[in-house]
Amino acid sequence: MHDELETEAIWRFAGYGFLLLVTMFMLIPIYWLLVASTLPESAIIASAGSGLPRLIPGTHLLENARALAARPDVDFYLSILNSVLIAVVYTGLALIFCSMAGFAFAKYDFRFKEPLFLGILATLIIPINLLVVPLFLLVSNIGLANSYWAVILPWAAYPIGIFFMRQSMQSIPDSLLEAARMDGASEFQLYYRVALPTMKSSMAALAVILFLFQWNLFLWPLVVLQQEKFTIPVAITKIMGQEQIAYDQLLIAAVLAIVPMFVVFLVLQRHFVRGILAGAVKE
Amino acid sequence: MTKISINNLVKTFEASDQRDADGEIVAVDDIDLEIADGEFIVLVGPSGCGKSTTLRCIAGLDNATQGEIRFDGEIVNDSRPRDRDVAMVFQNYALYPHMTVEGNMGFGLKLSSTLSSAEIDARVTEAAETMGIDGLLTKKPGELSGGQQQRVALGRSIVREPGVFLMDEPLSNLDAKLRAEMRTEIQALQNDLGVTTIYVTHDQTEAMAMGDRIAVLDGGVLQQVDVPEQLYRNPVNEFVADFIGSPSINLLDVAVDGKRLTGPGGFTHEYTGHEVGDRSRVRLGIRPEDLAIDERGDELTVSVVEKMGNENFIYGHLGDREIVARTDASVRPDPGDTVGLSFTNEALYLFDAQSGRSLETKTDNVSATQTQF
Amino acid sequence: MRSDLTVEFIDRVRYKRERLKDLLPPIPGTPFVFLSPFFILFGVFLAIPVFYTIYLSFFAFQGVSMEPIFVLDLGAYQLVVPEMANLRFVGLEHYERMLTDQVFHQAIINTVVIFVVQVPIMVSLALGLALVLNAGFTRFKNVFRSVLLLPVSANTVAYSVIFIVLVTEGGLADAMFRAVGLDPIAWLSNGFWSRNLIAFMSVWRWTGYNMIIILAGLQTISDSLYEAAEIDGATKIQKFRYVTLPQLKPIMLFVFVTSTIGGFKKFAEPTIVIQSGAPITETRTIAYYIYQVAFQNLELGYGSALTVALVVIIMSLSLLQFKVS
Repeated sequence: MHDELETEAIWRFAGYGFLLLVTMFMLIPIYWLLVASTLPESAIIASAGSGLPRLIPGTHLLENARALAARPDVDFYLSILNSVLIAVVYTGLALIFCSMAGFAFAKYDFRFKEPLFLGILATLIIPINLLVVPLFLLVSNIGLANSYWAVILPWAAYPIGIFFMRQSMQSIPDSLLEAARMDGASEFQLYYRVALPTMKSSMAALAVILFLFQWNLFLWPLVVLQQEKFTIPVAITKIMGQEQIAYDQLLIAAVLAIVPMFVVFLVLQRHFVRGILAGAVKE
Repeated sequence: MTKISINNLVKTFEASDQRDADGEIVAVDDIDLEIADGEFIVLVGPSGCGKSTTLRCIAGLDNATQGEIRFDGEIVNDSRPRDRDVAMVFQNYALYPHMTVEGNMGFGLKLSSTLSSAEIDARVTEAAETMGIDGLLTKKPGELSGGQQQRVALGRSIVREPGVFLMDEPLSNLDAKLRAEMRTEIQALQNDLGVTTIYVTHDQTEAMAMGDRIAVLDGGVLQQVDVPEQLYRNPVNEFVADFIGSPSINLLDVAVDGKRLTGPGGFTHEYTGHEVGDRSRVRLGIRPEDLAIDERGDELTVSVVEKMGNENFIYGHLGDREIVARTDASVRPDPGDTVGLSFTNEALYLFDAQSGRSLETKTDNVSATQTQF
Repeated sequence: MRSDLTVEFIDRVRYKRERLKDLLPPIPGTPFVFLSPFFILFGVFLAIPVFYTIYLSFFAFQGVSMEPIFVLDLGAYQLVVPEMANLRFVGLEHYERMLTDQVFHQAIINTVVIFVVQVPIMVSLALGLALVLNAGFTRFKNVFRSVLLLPVSANTVAYSVIFIVLVTEGGLADAMFRAVGLDPIAWLSNGFWSRNLIAFMSVWRWTGYNMIIILAGLQTISDSLYEAAEIDGATKIQKFRYVTLPQLKPIMLFVFVTSTIGGFKKFAEPTIVIQSGAPITETRTIAYYIYQVAFQNLELGYGSALTVALVVIIMSLSLLQFKVS
């Protein structure tokens, strides 16, 4: 009995130790990002052999932010606007398209339904965001290059989103839609007055998936966007692309790219988790 | 209100199982039915008999494959549900989970009437008062009990003031006590409103208790349409006789020899006045309540006695057939006992052994015990 | 409370809408209407690129071209399909080149090494964390879970930047190594360590993500299995070995395969590491090489052939997963 308690205690100790260690590993870069962004460039990097860099917040935050704004080559603040605008419009459009397609697949019978759906499933295994070469030629030719639409449209009918919405919408009872038909709803009203409102939490989870997908999109915007349309990741690479990296500006840019999303994450955590798991659900 | 005629209604579905030879399933096979204005008609039958499909064709949720559905003489086959002026109550209530009770009840009026918002509010409030749910108007369906949801579903259909009510097993999700309560309530409501009502159920007790007339379906085919008592006393065939009444009618294969019927286990009955033609075998039907038990006899071996308090159900074996008798509470043999069986010729049903068609049905007087089920 | 005027306005809109609904005939093929945006976008931006990539891989790109290849004359409107690019047919030349392209081979090696370092560390951490967070004794589970998941929301380029600054010469990492008496690692000038840096960064970014998936898998294991094992006298380790692991197998497989696929697609991290001055030979991944070939050297044809190769690798991995699970 005594032994059992002892091993239990060891397990707990080891468990907590491990948990705290990894949590530290996760937190150190974040903490340091927050601290370093408030320091002057000279304090971010300690001169060799002079011990630790400063680990408590300084007062240089606004100076760093101003230095970033004063850059002639990259307008980082504009890129934040671009990123937010693109991600929001993309998320909105893709939500509509994915839920409409998901609704059709979940709640209607039509010719070629099975082969069509299998076709979508098949594209799940194609890394679609790598197909940038033909996309570049295509987009240039239809005159969309260097436009927001070039980044918004290509994946607005996002296969994972369609798959996810179809799975979710299958849980809507047929009788609910029939009741609405009896009440005089048109087919489109079935979709937006009955199906969508009952799918709020799935839509929220999907919104998270879509937003993150667009927010992290890098290769494609790098290829297709120019100066004034840069998104955050592209702007950051331009800041880095200089001979002498300005660490103070780079860090404040990273803060601006990361910290607001942390806040969004903490608020919407439930939907984040559901969104992550949605990718892991199997047929 | 609305008079409904259904002529030669056929509904087939494509079989999902492609190995099926003709590739289709006939759900409803050539049904004719006239429903009078203000009538309460019940469609009853075992599951898969086509009763729900018939209802859905009337509602406009399914399209008839063949035949005509007329509302007041006008063919409605091609009109959308919203243009048919019908309201439907679903088995699982199908309340919109994201709307309040008020929103649920007003949704149909908002989508298919030209009433102003104020008029809609007034109608909703009035219907809610009728159903006794005026205190719940701001609640969501998820916050309501099953019985309350049922009332909201009914309220949602009456608020539309439709020409026809369609009800698809509306009580089967309720517990027994609530079901009995709602049963009388729906009847009272239908009486007050006088709206033509088509009610689907698999429960013959419910059908008998509620319907002005009852349509019995089996295998997509309409077997008989009649008032409850006629279904019980004069079923057209063995299926209807078997389906109506609880416990079910006892059915025995008997051999005919002149005026003598010989059943399983050597049981015999001398009959009079029945016309069986030159058949050598018929099916004999006798309702449990028409069987008299003689505790001194030796025809039936008792297996189980269910004591209900006011009456007893006595189960036993007659040869290889199980038989049930419904008796007075004072008749109480023990399992294992053998008892005698008897019944009058007036209580006898006879069916053709092949087709199941009725040859002879009950001719006795209606007594108090036979009208309750 | 809404004013009477608004209500009246709303009612009017409602009548109009319902009148319109009565006038419009019911649309045949409703589901196709719902699917139409998907058909258009999917066709233009997915179907065309998939086939066009394969097509392009047999050609050398010589410049953008607007020469029409197809004109549909509708009188008032002319539909012109331009040929998009001025191409020269080269047959299998690009695929042959791939076989002898040392840079491409090195890129494959780099990509594989990165996930061979990253995936085992990441998956063990994720599994360990999930087990601890699933254990009965652990408190503040939600707090830990939130913190561990935080990196998932970080932009892939921006988080890479943090690590660059962290490990740059004289940065915090150097100082910490010195503080515990170790020699600092030249993360950004030694190719071996630059490559490992990409792996370690990825561990930071993706551990929480995989943890949450494994945790969900753990929570689906029925308690009765553990109770049965306990009655049979199993120790904690035996329970893990004989109950948890077999039950988790499909989830672990999923985690492994998605991580591998993610590894093959790795682009943001190497880009930032390379930009910070790290040796490119050891840090260039396949995706980065495609970017260089296609958009820096403008060899779109060869870039397409490389894309085809990468897509085939990734698709085979995905299919393998479907097959095994």
